[in-house]
Amino acid sequence: MNILNVISNLFYSGLGNLASYLAAHVLLCLLPAFYIAGAMTALIPKETVTRFLGRNTPKFVSYPAAALAGSLLAVCSCTIVPLFAGIYKKGAGLGPAITFLFFAPAANILALIYTGGVIGVDLALARFFLSLAFGIGIGIIMALIFRHEDMEHDKATDSMFAAQGKMRRVALVFLLVLVSLLLSGTLKVGLLTNTYATITVPISGMDTFQDFLYNLIPYDAAKGEEGVTAQGAILIGLLVLIGFISWLGMENIFDGFNKWTWISLGLVGITLLVAAVGMTPHAGGLDIFINGKFFGVLLALGISGWIIKTRLTEDETRDFLWESWKFVKQIFPLLVAGVFAVGVIRALIQPEWIEAMAGQNTLLGNLAGVVFGVFMYFPTLVEVPIAQMFLSLGMHRGPLLAYLMADPELSLQSILIISTIIGRVKSWTYVAWVALFSTLAGLIYGSWIDGASVALVVLYLIIFLALLSGMLWFVNRRNTQKLAPVH
Amino acid sequence: MLTIKVLGSGCANCKRVEQIVRKILTDMSIEAQVIKVTDYNDITAYNILSTPGLVINEKVVSYGRIPTPAEVTTWVVDALQTA
Repeated sequence: MNILNVISNLFYSGLGNLASYLAAHVLLCLLPAFYIAGAMTALIPKETVTRFLGRNTPKFVSYPAAALAGSLLAVCSCTIVPLFAGIYKKGAGLGPAITFLFFAPAANILALIYTGGVIGVDLALARFFLSLAFGIGIGIIMALIFRHEDMEHDKATDSMFAAQGKMRRVALVFLLVLVSLLLSGTLKVGLLTNTYATITVPISGMDTFQDFLYNLIPYDAAKGEEGVTAQGAILIGLLVLIGFISWLGMENIFDGFNKWTWISLGLVGITLLVAAVGMTPHAGGLDIFINGKFFGVLLALGISGWIIKTRLTEDETRDFLWESWKFVKQIFPLLVAGVFAVGVIRALIQPEWIEAMAGQNTLLGNLAGVVFGVFMYFPTLVEVPIAQMFLSLGMHRGPLLAYLMADPELSLQSILIISTIIGRVKSWTYVAWVALFSTLAGLIYGSWIDGASVALVVLYLIIFLALLSGMLWFVNRRNTQKLAPVH
Repeated sequence: MLTIKVLGSGCANCKRVEQIVRKILTDMSIEAQVIKVTDYNDITAYNILSTPGLVINEKVVSYGRIPTPAEVTTWVVDALQTA
């Protein structure tokens, strides 16, 4: 095999991965997800959550509120860093600030939906709950370790947390409709996946088109690869068109809506509908299966369109569309490049390596997952296709979760940012705790996957928490004794 | 003369706010000093919880969103009158 052959093989592998991703995974989960994230940023007043993050809020309120803030408000770094600094310096203190920082990248709405759509709902839920428990845990630990410094921090009033915000009910309904749009497209329940009608469109040549696509982008189902169907190709075409028209319609949205704005929204709706139906090309034409998903998506689209048109103010609609478009612009190109790169790398990695390193749910395997997560830095959401590559190459789900927990929390970027705000010692302590907790998360989840009984898993968790709280209680007591004369 | 500060590390929304401000200043032919504040320690000194922030004569007029040109015009006029 000459070198040119190798390069073209790698290129095809990357392209194939990209094409099957766009066709299969992106549409029904990621497209609504961008709109949900946009609606959250634009329509939820930050004050609804931040008023629970002030200095005088009791701990059992401020920690969960910090996690909630991470999940609802923090898709963009524009929000993460100022909010983190604000909570730390002027609000609830180091603990909730760390909880917020830990929870935001792992459990923001985009990351969760994408993980659920690509890898599986079980892993998304595990990611959510373990991040919640560990985020609060690490926050409390950090607050205890650094309690001296935490007391000294900025004594300014917390008036910035006093503002009250009220979310309009219609905004809440709108968010729920968008979520149901997502669910009706992705949930795999009979009501939605059953076919209720079949229409045959007499277009000839669709079957040869599909064969052509399979030949163009060869795939190996045994390796977990997916081919591109005729339906997929239509969807990719629509996506490119949406991207182009959105550029015309959304980029200058602050100068007012123009016809391209509405055309691009209409196209998004059509694309979601095309993605929802089933299609089978054959010699006589194209069979289109009208399933429950189609009706669900149609209904959700109709209601959300009606809300945009009659219930939201022009400012709200504009902010909502701009924020959604901003996320697409910010994340999508990186995602495309990342997925392509994953396809290339996948062709280079031997499954045996992954098998040997992390094929089993062992301490070493989980550590390998965490170390990879700490030392590699990927842009937002790219960790998900990478995780899927590992999974298809034979990685166990335990180490996979360990990797997914460690990677977004411990990017170089976040370590640098928190160093400037809380100092180097605190940042590295934080890194160490995240590494420890991620390894543990992987081990526990992995043993559950391997069939350990729930009781055993709970027992592990309780033993760990007991050890931890015992240790913290000891440290706490020593600190208090040392502090006593000062009071 | 007005001092207008745009607080933000350089994300898309912060640039947008700066654009809006500059356009209004040109349209109304008002002379003002526009400063971009990008350092996080300086930004948090202004008691805001998310960027972009807009500060006119050391008073925070908006943060966490993109203000409309009409709002910015009102703030600028107000600031000119109090000054």
